[in-house]
Amino acid sequence: MRLPRFAEHAVERARLTVVPRRRTAAPRVPFFILVAVVLLGGVVGLLLFNTSMQQASFRATALEAEAARLHAVEQSLLMELDQLRDPQKVATRARALGMVPMVSPAFLRLPDGEILGDPVPAKVEDAQRLEPLPARKPPSLHPTPVRVVLSATPDTGRDGVPSDTTGPRTGTTDDGR
Amino acid sequence: MAKQRRAPAGATRRGRSSLATIRSASLTRLRFGFVVIAMVVSVFAVRLFQLQGLDAQTYAAQARAVGAVQEVLPATRGSIVDRNGTPLAESLDGSMIVADPTKTDDDAAAIASVLADRLGLDYIKTVKNLQWPDTRFRYIARRVPTTQATQVVQDLTDAGHKGLDIRRDPVRSYPAGDVAANVVGYVNAMGEAAGGAEETFDTLLSGKDGSATYDIGDGHRIPLGDNSVTEPVNGHDLTLTVDRDLQWYTQRVLRQTVEDAGAESGTAVVLDSRTGELLALADDPTYDPNATVQRDVSKLASRAFTAPYEPGSVEKVLTVASLLDAGLVDPLTKFTVPETLASSDRTIHDYFDHGTLRLTMTGVIAKSSNIGTVMAAREMASQRFYRYLRAFGLGSPTGIPGYGESAGMLSRPSAWIDIERDNIAFGQGLAVTAVQMAAAVNTIANGGVYVQPSLVKGSATTYDGIETGSDLATERRVVSTEAADATRDMMEVVTDPEEGTAPLAAINGYRVAGKTGTAQMVNPECQCYDGTYFTVSFAGFAPADDPRFTVYVVVHKPTNRAGGGMTGGPAFRKIMSYLLQRYAVPPSGSDRPDLPVKWTPVHGKVD
Repeated sequence: MRLPRFAEHAVERARLTVVPRRRTAAPRVPFFILVAVVLLGGVVGLLLFNTSMQQASFRATALEAEAARLHAVEQSLLMELDQLRDPQKVATRARALGMVPMVSPAFLRLPDGEILGDPVPAKVEDAQRLEPLPARKPPSLHPTPVRVVLSATPDTGRDGVPSDTTGPRTGTTDDGR
Repeated sequence: MAKQRRAPAGATRRGRSSLATIRSASLTRLRFGFVVIAMVVSVFAVRLFQLQGLDAQTYAAQARAVGAVQEVLPATRGSIVDRNGTPLAESLDGSMIVADPTKTDDDAAAIASVLADRLGLDYIKTVKNLQWPDTRFRYIARRVPTTQATQVVQDLTDAGHKGLDIRRDPVRSYPAGDVAANVVGYVNAMGEAAGGAEETFDTLLSGKDGSATYDIGDGHRIPLGDNSVTEPVNGHDLTLTVDRDLQWYTQRVLRQTVEDAGAESGTAVVLDSRTGELLALADDPTYDPNATVQRDVSKLASRAFTAPYEPGSVEKVLTVASLLDAGLVDPLTKFTVPETLASSDRTIHDYFDHGTLRLTMTGVIAKSSNIGTVMAAREMASQRFYRYLRAFGLGSPTGIPGYGESAGMLSRPSAWIDIERDNIAFGQGLAVTAVQMAAAVNTIANGGVYVQPSLVKGSATTYDGIETGSDLATERRVVSTEAADATRDMMEVVTDPEEGTAPLAAINGYRVAGKTGTAQMVNPECQCYDGTYFTVSFAGFAPADDPRFTVYVVVHKPTNRAGGGMTGGPAFRKIMSYLLQRYAVPPSGSDRPDLPVKWTPVHGKVD
């Protein structure tokens, strides 16, 4: 078929051709940066997390030690308090200050200043014995003393010198028993 | 494999530009390297098999042992506290200092002087312990506050002394020593409750131990490691009705009384008249629960509960109250009291010799006349008298659990012969415990209503499931208010300086009601009352116009020949004065009713 010459150009123009695929090179750099950031962030984050965990663990141990120490202090103070308020100890100290338990209770009524009861000054005899008496020695450990009485007039020897000042004692002194 | 393929490829590439000889030499080297690598890898494989296949269990166990820590979390045992919350028994975390004498031997003197100085230890004993031969373990000090122990041992270690160490020493502490020891009981060295409230309320006090397991690395817990904790359940506290300071004072007064009377033992009971709460319960001799060695078994029990005895004249109060309630006598009933009185085949005497006396009922009580009491008691039928005594609580336990309480002894009236009934009327021939008797006398103080005594404030459950305590104390009316009041008035004459048997029990400004008791004890050798041993006692309450407290003091086997008024009276006065002051009870505003103790026959009229 022959087309008019003027149309040739249009036909030529109308012929379809395959458009070559446009190869747009995706920029690689952002992707790598992204991966790097994720990786780096992960590693650093993990590191930080681990560090903070360790830190928390150290802190927990330190706090536990502190708690144990404070517990010990509390217990020590409790022991001390117990000793200080032991009635026996309080009474012993009061006694050392010269105090005795009262034997005649009396009260002062504050609103009108009236004295109820019969106030009597404390006496030394009112003191309460605070310690047990020392254990008594059994009689077997406490034999009656053997008494030796020397005769009133010194027996003089033939030479006129008292025998007990010079020569050895002779067994004559137990006549007093 | 990739490497292997690449290697010959590389060689080929190189071979294209090099000589053939080089190629063959390189192949030999390659095979040689391959063999070496194969050998090494197979060694690894064998070792791997050995570790994972054969010894796996052992290594796993080793790893667990190194890394994992298993710890018992001990439950704290509950405290036993007094009515004001002051501890009578508590668990404290102390430390013990232990030594390895093989290391401390050389500088024992230097260490001991520091320890003696800082902890107050005995120098000589400490030196001995530090030089103890043939051992590597020796206790140096126990129950030391942890801070103090740590400090001392640290300082000694810094100074170059070796061989000292600290260990945990959880202690059951009884801060006031022997105060209320017989009531509280103790926990022995093995940590077992052994007696008293400690044993009775063991389940309540002990709680439940917990445990913890965790991995440890370099002294620190490994985060995210194995970690499991069972929290311990701490024990509950137990509140007793006793008042620690009062208990202490009662014990000291009782000890002095027992010592001064040269007696074998004694008991003192202090009751709140209205509630029946035992404010103090003292036994002497007693023991220190803190000491772990010298416990004398005979001193451990509370004899106020376990040891029945014949109460003697204190019981006359119950006889008279019963007679008054039955309307058979009144405080002014006249008695002509003869020198002696025949009963069955025996003769009843009074403790003092007298001719024929003309005493009122009040006088019989004030002078504590056995004959007068028997004459009055014969007015009442045995059966009825027995019922009254039972209502006062004699012959049955008061119901406080855990102390092996005795019921005392009161025989059935069907078996009574005259002398038995007569004896019982003035307190012989029957046996009571101190708590029983105190509760019976307290009935008079409380207007004729018996209140069950209690030792636990509020309520608590014993190990065998019995609920007990002041909240559950029962009450019952025994005698009428009028009978109780009349008895009380008569008991006030007992502390009268002229007429009574116990003027030493009187307290300035207060009305005090009481009754003395001087009971003969059966001499076990002759099975008879031969006047060798006595039980002397005093029971009373104050203020008599509105009783608040009942105090009962009993002393067994005194050797000073003094009666209940001389021995028990002063002890009663001391304890009661302390009570009145401590609980701020104002003095009585009134005088005691004037009751005559004697009567004179109207002229021309024969009684």
